[in-house]
Formats: sequence, C-alpha cells, structure tokens
Amino acid sequence: MDEDVLALTIVFIVWALLAAAFALVPMLDMPAAARVWGAGAAVFLALALWVTRRRHSRHR
Amino acid sequence: MLAMERRSFAAALASAPSGDKTLLKALLASALATLAFGVVVGSIVALTRGGALAPAVENGYRLLTSHGVAAFFFWLYFAQAALLLGLAMTHGRDRPALALRPLAWLGGAAMLAGFVASQVGTWLGTPLLYDGEPDLVGDDRANAFLFYAGYLGLAFGLALVALSAIATAIAGKAERRGAAWSAVTFGTVAWAGLILVSAFAVINAFLPAALWATGAGPRPADHSTAWHILFHNLHYLPLMGAVLIWYALVRDFIGAGSVFGERFSKVVFALYLVFVPPTSLYHMFLEPGLSPLVRALGSVLSLFVGVPTIAAFLVIVISLEARARAAGRRGAFGWVRALPWGQPAADALAVAVLALAFGGTFSFVLIQEKLAGLLSDTFFVPAYFHFLTVGTVSLTLLAGIAHAMPGLCGRAPPLRRLLRTLPYVIGAALLVFALAGVVGGLTGLPRRALDVSYGGQAPALWRTVSIVIGVAGALMAAAVLAYALVLIGGIARFGCAVGAAAAHEIAVPPERAVVRFSAWSAPASVAVLILAIYAATALAFEIIRGLPVLASGSGH
Repeated sequence: MDEDVLALTIVFIVWALLAAAFALVPMLDMPAAARVWGAGAAVFLALALWVTRRRHSRHR
Repeated sequence: MLAMERRSFAAALASAPSGDKTLLKALLASALATLAFGVVVGSIVALTRGGALAPAVENGYRLLTSHGVAAFFFWLYFAQAALLLGLAMTHGRDRPALALRPLAWLGGAAMLAGFVASQVGTWLGTPLLYDGEPDLVGDDRANAFLFYAGYLGLAFGLALVALSAIATAIAGKAERRGAAWSAVTFGTVAWAGLILVSAFAVINAFLPAALWATGAGPRPADHSTAWHILFHNLHYLPLMGAVLIWYALVRDFIGAGSVFGERFSKVVFALYLVFVPPTSLYHMFLEPGLSPLVRALGSVLSLFVGVPTIAAFLVIVISLEARARAAGRRGAFGWVRALPWGQPAADALAVAVLALAFGGTFSFVLIQEKLAGLLSDTFFVPAYFHFLTVGTVSLTLLAGIAHAMPGLCGRAPPLRRLLRTLPYVIGAALLVFALAGVVGGLTGLPRRALDVSYGGQAPALWRTVSIVIGVAGALMAAAVLAYALVLIGGIARFGCAVGAAAAHEIAVPPERAVVRFSAWSAPASVAVLILAIYAATALAFEIIRGLPVLASGSGH
C-alpha cells in the first residue's frame, strides 16, 4: 500500500474507534464529540480513497 | 523531480500562474487587514483593562468580542488558507499550480463575507464573546444570526480552500505516477484534513445556534460542549500549521530536509492527527457530571497533548544543528549562526520558538485537573494563550508571509531592519503582558471583567497587574500592527525588487557527513521544558493554596 494512503487510513481507524467510544461507552456519553470525530474519520477515509483512486486512474 | 524538491518556497511561488498568485495575495491582504483590525481593537481592550480608557460596559464587551473573532479566528485562518495553498502547489507539484482554483476563490469570498457578518452582528447586536453563547443573546436574534452566520461563512470558506489544497497535492501525486508525497506535501494534506474537520466542528457548534436565532430550531442544549470540541481543534490546528511552516522554512534555510528522512517526518505530522481526539477530554474537566474515571483518563491523556509538537521540534532543530555542524559550525550554539539572520523570517521564527516554550509550560499548568477549575476563568488563560497565538502562531504566519513575498510579489518586504526588530519588541511586550497575566491569574484576577476594581474591594495587586497588562498589551498590539502594515505595503509592491536567483540559491550539505555529528541542543531544550513545567506547576499549587478560594468552575 502507498505510504501516504496507509498513514491516512491509520488516522481514519483511530478517529473511527474514538468516535465509536464517545458514542457507545455510557461513561463517556458525548454525542457531540462522537459527531465531530466521526465526521473526521469520514474525512480521512474519503481522503485515502481519493488518493487511491487518482493513483489508479493515472496508472491505467 | 529532485530539482523541484530543492527549490525554495519563494522560488517555486515565483513560477506559479499569475491567477494563483493573485488569489494568494488576496487571501494574504485579507489576513493582514483582519490582523490590523483585530490588534487595533485589542489595544483598546488592553488600555481599558489598564484603566486608561473606560468605554460603556456593553461596548467594552463588543471590543473584546470583536478582537477575539478578528484576531483568533479570521486573521489566523485567512493566513493559514493562503500558506496552505502556497505549500500545496509549490511542494506538491513540479509545476506549481492550484487545482480547483475557483473553489478556493469562492472559499476566500465566503470567509470575507463571514468576517463582515460577524463584525456587524457584534457591533449592532448583543456582544456574545467569541464562543457565542446563545444564553446571552436576549431578544435581538437577528444580529445574533449575523454573528453565527459569520462563523458558518468562515467554516464553508475554509472547507473549500482545504479541498483545493488537497486536490492540488493529489494532482501532483498523479503527475508523478503515484510517487510518495514529500514530507511537506503530506503535512499539508494532513493540515487540510484537520481544517475540514474543524470546519465541521464550527458547523456543529454554530449551526444549531443560527437556526435557533432564525426561529427554525430549538435553543441549543449543548452549545458549551460543542464549543469545547471546536476549541480543542483550534488549539491543534494553527499549531500544526505553524510547525509545518517551521519545517518548510528551515528546509529552505538549510537547503535540505530532516536528517531522519521524509518518512519519519510524515509520521510526526500524522501524530498530530492521531493525538487530536484522545486528548480532548481535558476540556470537559469543568463539566459537573463528568465521572471520576473519565476525569482521571482525561488527566493522563492530557499529558500527551504536546507530544506531536515536541517531536516536530526535535526533528527540525536536530536536523538544523547536525547540518550546521557538518558545515563547520563549532561551539555550543555556533549552529544557530547557520540560520539566515539577514532575513526577517529567521528573527520571527526564533521568537516564535521561545514563545512556544513559555506557552507550552503554562498550558500544562492550566490543563491539570486540580487547577483547571480554579484558573479557567482567570487572566491566566489569555496570558498563556497569547504566548501561543501571538508569539508562536502569528509570528510564524508573519514569517511565512515575509518569506513568500519575494516569490509572490517579485519584491522583498520593505523596511527589512524594522521587520527584523519587531519580533523582539513583540516578544518582550508579550513576555511582560503574559507574566503579569499569569501572576494576576494565580491570584484570581478575572479574565472577562474589564474593570477589576470592584469598588475598591479587589486586591491591590490586581490594579498594578492590570496596568502592566494594559501597557504591555498596547505595545504588543502596536508592534504587531506595524508588522502587518509593512507586509501590506509589500503586497502593494512597495518593497525592493529581487533578482530571480537572490532567494533561490541553496547549498545542499553532504548527507553522509551530517549524520556523524551529534546534536544535543533540542533534547536538552526539551529536558529544560519538562523541568520548567514541573516548577511552574509546583509554584501554581503553592500560590493557590494560600488563597481563600470559595468556588471554582466556568470554562474557556
């Protein structure tokens, strides 16, 4: 995997896990935090996919 | 590709299409104009605090709101938008050019409209301070809507600019057949990603309030929580941008990148993103219903808040020192002379690094669970964050603008000697302002009360400290204003014309020789920083233990 895509994917995973924790762990119970970190996870996933897609479209 | 990698930021900017340069100049002019406005208003706030002026109470809070919104938000984000786009196209592509340029223009226009709306809302309506608490709005919801719409315009505009920067970097990667990004390009994409998230956090905080102000939604129930999450992003975002600018500028200064390699630098930039969400818990220390376990977890995680910045500092300074020693610089601090001290950017960066040491030390005092509730509503907060926002971030952004100017405008910034002197004036005034604020804060001086005499009942120290804060704050504002006006003059082409080669000739030191030299200054600095944090924390506890504290709370 491209190292840039790998780094963005790791960031996505970390943010997604934390968003899930903020949403699902009763002790935390911070829906606003879950929304923002969840949106952040989506941003970094979209970035990783965008980079991957542009690389492949040029290689064809 | 190698030739492109060694070209300086200014040199690469010079070869950008004129349409791109016009956009960057427009964003920088907006940034410097909002900074000039923000510090003029800030100087009135400072003089009010010092007792030299006495505006009507409501106008005093309008001044405070206007200063916070202009300087903490619009100046910082206009400047970041310009430098983000500049770095994306100069480091990301062999032939610098922006992708999705119309989107970036639209973003800049939305930000400008946002600035106007937020100021109109502030001056015609109820002053809400920069966190825009809906509970303060009262009956005048129309002007409150304008205020909130200003933030939404900023968020929309920043998102569009960030998309243009990311598209530019991705276009460059495709042109190079998928080759890995340089560290600066990766850092730029990571920075743009965090801007997108922060734009969402702005919408999360202010869209419910805007809808409520128009009557289209209920009163926001958790505005303060949403603000704290946004505010957490706003701690990291400008600092990440500042550190990336340090990295890019030092690379230009010494003619090569990190001695640890590009990949390691990418890991350091990625650390910023990894550490943003887990360290956010300390902002919740003031929430009354927070469980003790989350409180303890937040305390532990808050210790990691400085890790990415310290890691980036180590990479940059160790690389600089090792390369300078390899080039023959001797003596404990002989490597410092390798910096290009004739350039205004070098002086601004030096003061920015020192300010970070002070700001970092006091920020670790503030975020401790036992102290947060006691200090968060005192002048300790503006004292420490002016070290970071003025000393570190603003001076870094000003350095980046000065460094970019020859490439962007074809001229070096005018009044070079003045620009070299001003960072030290700003730094000295900031030191006095902030240390007085820390002393005031540790004795309970309120941060959002413009008159702290309390009918003669207040401690005598508060009056003395307020005068010092007022004088030093006004001097700091005047020096920042002078810097901004000189750079505006540069954009208006008042500077000296530069030859094409003047800013572009870079000598690359031999790589093999560099790694043989020890570079101890940066690790030693971090050790001193840790000792300073320990000492400042112990001192804060000692002083506060001696006070008759009745209650703690509120938030920042």
